[in-house]
Amino acid sequence: MRTVVAGFLLSVAAWVPLASAAAPYYAGKSVEIIVPTAPGGPSDILVRALAPYLEKHIAGNPSVRVRNMPGGGTILGSNWFALNAKPDGSTLLAAPVGATIAYIIRNPAVRYDFRAFKLVAVSGSGAVFYASPRVGVRRAAELPQARDLVMGSPSPPGNVLTALVAMELLGVSPKVVFGFEGVGPARLAFERGELTLDFQSTIVYVTQVEPLVRAGRAVPLMTLGYLDERGQVVRDPAVRGLPTVYEVYQQIHGRKPDGLLRWKAFRALFAAGWVYGRGLWAPGGTPPEALRELHEAVDRMNRDPDFQRDVAQRLLEGYALHRGDRVEATVHRSLQVTLDVVKFIRDLMRQKYGQEI
Amino acid sequence: MAEAALRALEIFTGPDRLALLCAGILAGIVVGLLPGMGGIVAVSLILPYVLRMDAVAAVAVLTGALAVVHTADTITSVLIGAPGSAASATSVIEGHPLARQGQAARALSAAFLSSMLGGLMGALGLTLSIPVARPLVLSMGAPELFMLTALGVSYAGSLLGREVRKGLLSGLLGMLVGLIGPSPAAAQVRFDFGSLYLMDGLPLAVVALGIFGVAEVVNLLAEGGSIARGATLGHGWLDGVRDVWRHRWLVVRGALIGIWAGILPALGATAGTWMAYGHVVATSRDRDRFGKGDIRGIIAPESANNAVAAGDLIPTLLFMVPGSASAAILVGALLRYGILPGPRILTEHLDLIYVIIWSYALANVIGAGICFAASPALARLTRVPFARLAAPVLAAMALGAYQASQEMGDLVTLVVLGVLGWLMSSAGWPRAPFLIGFVLVGPMERYFVITKNLYGWTWLARPGVWVIGAALLAPFLWGLVRWLRRGGVAAERTTLPPGRHALDLAVSVTVLAVFLGAAFLAVRLVPGARELPLLVALAGCGLGAVQVVQGARGRGGAGEDLPEPARLRRGLGILAGLWGFVLLTYLAGFLAAVVALALWVTLALGRVRPPWAVLYTGATALAVHALAGFLALHLPPGRISP
Repeated sequence: MRTVVAGFLLSVAAWVPLASAAAPYYAGKSVEIIVPTAPGGPSDILVRALAPYLEKHIAGNPSVRVRNMPGGGTILGSNWFALNAKPDGSTLLAAPVGATIAYIIRNPAVRYDFRAFKLVAVSGSGAVFYASPRVGVRRAAELPQARDLVMGSPSPPGNVLTALVAMELLGVSPKVVFGFEGVGPARLAFERGELTLDFQSTIVYVTQVEPLVRAGRAVPLMTLGYLDERGQVVRDPAVRGLPTVYEVYQQIHGRKPDGLLRWKAFRALFAAGWVYGRGLWAPGGTPPEALRELHEAVDRMNRDPDFQRDVAQRLLEGYALHRGDRVEATVHRSLQVTLDVVKFIRDLMRQKYGQEI
Repeated sequence: MAEAALRALEIFTGPDRLALLCAGILAGIVVGLLPGMGGIVAVSLILPYVLRMDAVAAVAVLTGALAVVHTADTITSVLIGAPGSAASATSVIEGHPLARQGQAARALSAAFLSSMLGGLMGALGLTLSIPVARPLVLSMGAPELFMLTALGVSYAGSLLGREVRKGLLSGLLGMLVGLIGPSPAAAQVRFDFGSLYLMDGLPLAVVALGIFGVAEVVNLLAEGGSIARGATLGHGWLDGVRDVWRHRWLVVRGALIGIWAGILPALGATAGTWMAYGHVVATSRDRDRFGKGDIRGIIAPESANNAVAAGDLIPTLLFMVPGSASAAILVGALLRYGILPGPRILTEHLDLIYVIIWSYALANVIGAGICFAASPALARLTRVPFARLAAPVLAAMALGAYQASQEMGDLVTLVVLGVLGWLMSSAGWPRAPFLIGFVLVGPMERYFVITKNLYGWTWLARPGVWVIGAALLAPFLWGLVRWLRRGGVAAERTTLPPGRHALDLAVSVTVLAVFLGAAFLAVRLVPGARELPLLVALAGCGLGAVQVVQGARGRGGAGEDLPEPARLRRGLGILAGLWGFVLLTYLAGFLAAVVALALWVTLALGRVRPPWAVLYTGATALAVHALAGFLALHLPPGRISP
């Protein structure tokens, strides 16, 4: 008996160092993803769906858990990450749009700096504008002639900034009613006929609004567009049939908007809030071997047919999940916004909509 | 349709599906039992496992867990007086006094039975309303939603208690606390004192736990002895069943209110429960026993809060506008399976909707059965000296509160509001209006602003507004008629015995000071953010000033249950101890603080012999650690902990 035990111990002793030498970085470890919103928000839902695939595809199969840290309009959890997360690859941040917009418009409470973080993966989304048939437009280029445009929105800042800057770019001045609990109740108000102009992410547009379009109760106008790898505006891959804001500007004004301050403001919000709106970040100083494992896991996930079906098609709506290292420079650049752009956004919100952001 | 319903039922004939459903139900019950934790914790807990199942099983398990949270949360509310979730705070008001009178069994059986019936009616209502839900929901515009929130606030009017001014002040104070955080229609955060924690407003679970739970635990500890005094537990089970039978139409009314509160995106579960409670108080002739343990005050809200979860599924499934965080997670799970909520779900996934309805109904029956079975043992806890229960109860409350945002702010809020709740209960101020004000002020302001901006004054001409307005005014007119018939005799005034009104006066002065401070701050807010806070603060200043003057003259109305001075001193000591607990958590971490708390409670308050106290403390700490591990909860770390 004793020899058996001794033999067992010996074999274990011989096996342990070997195993650790060959083991992947994440073997026996765990990963916690900080979601700085309450459970149930869009980024929370996405991260919870990603978690099992990360477990499966990060070499060493660490357990992946989601931790919600709501508060301060996404700033609390993001600040916590910047100040407390150990740079050992065990803690990641799923930055929601609110955190990105607060960063861009230089909210004084923000203590995080994306330039100090490493990008693990990023995906995006698009959005669609549509109007009620009552306003008398058939396509987006007619928007400046529309009557009684009324939009609803939660209190700013947030994604409504992108919509309002887009309207400003096109020279359209809708009336905006703030106070909605979220974009869902605003859409209900559109269906009730209380609002005549609305703006929803593509997944909501495709599932909830297209039936209205078919019933003749909504007129699709345009998408925000999407950015290709070179940073060129292209049509939204989920709604290819509609023109982008960029195209509509040209239809109305007969020239390209590039170089205009209002275009810079739109592009900044659109890139940071939408095209790269779903970033998964690691603290700066995370060991390169950990980052490599994470990046390779993204590649493996993209090759996994189950992931393609369950997450990429259904939750990412077909927008690519990029390996962080490939697009990191682009994303970092899109998050750095010059002061004149910030001032333009703040002035627009104050002067036109009476909102001090 | 019937065919799809039957096909969906076949899914549950297999033992494996039923077992999965039961696993979901158990998770829901455990989370419901834990104070302050609602459906969202249950759903987050089981989601990682659920996502590995097929769509039907996943939906069944999630629905099962959501369905029973509001059945089980009653146990904690009734027995300990700490709301098992924010929506069951009404059961603290009516159920806990019954437990203290030794009638825990009656209260619990009435609660479970009405929960189950409310849930079943919710499932039935869900089935019936699916074909008509879309036009119904779309017929309610912003003005109607505003009027409904106003109706909810007016129900609070019947909960003001005997001293109307104190009730009003309590409601205004709740509104003021509810106004902390982002303004709905202006980019300004109100009353945040520069703190990031306050930027999103205070979490409802923590507020309910503080105002009711902490105050109750402090009172129990200060009194000494066990929860139930005198009387035997008896065979109250059948009494509870009889109570429900006698008030069967109340169950129907409660369930209907619950379903509507769930269907309308403006209100939410907690408001639905409170509306049902306010409704039963407002429509009862004899109101004397409300607040001291009236079984009707359990039956109506308990049938409502299970029906809310069913009603909530309508906007979730048909519009993809989830009414609660847990429903939002359900949407997420559905999306992940390629099931898209929205108008097309009825044609594409009707069978799945029936799976949800059946799971919901089955879970309500099974969950109530499990709670029934477990309760005799749990009800016996009311005979144990409370000092022996207090440490784990307090630890569970702190743990539950901390899950709201995982900041020390959660614990500080818990104890600050605990002090407030204890002061209010000790000075005879009603706490129900506080919570109603807190819950409804947000939606009321939101829909008022939207209504005003969309409609101008034309909203007053809408027929729906008139109908709800009539429902709102009817009880007041009826009261006026009765008052005139009686010949206009004012309610009698009593004078507080000297010495006792000192506390009452102190509370009045504090409340007035808070309102004055709020008015001072509200003036500096931007237009669009300041109107309602200013209105609330000024009303509070006016009423508070009158209250202080009356209090200084020694007139305080009927303070019949005011505690003895010695008990008040003990209560203050215990609150100081809770502050010590929060401070120790901040410094040395949660487990160390729990150890200190358990030693203090058992040795100093429970007079347990030291060896037992040490053993007990070890067991408590171990249990907290195990629970946190099992539920994957985070414990507050300490600043200087290893």
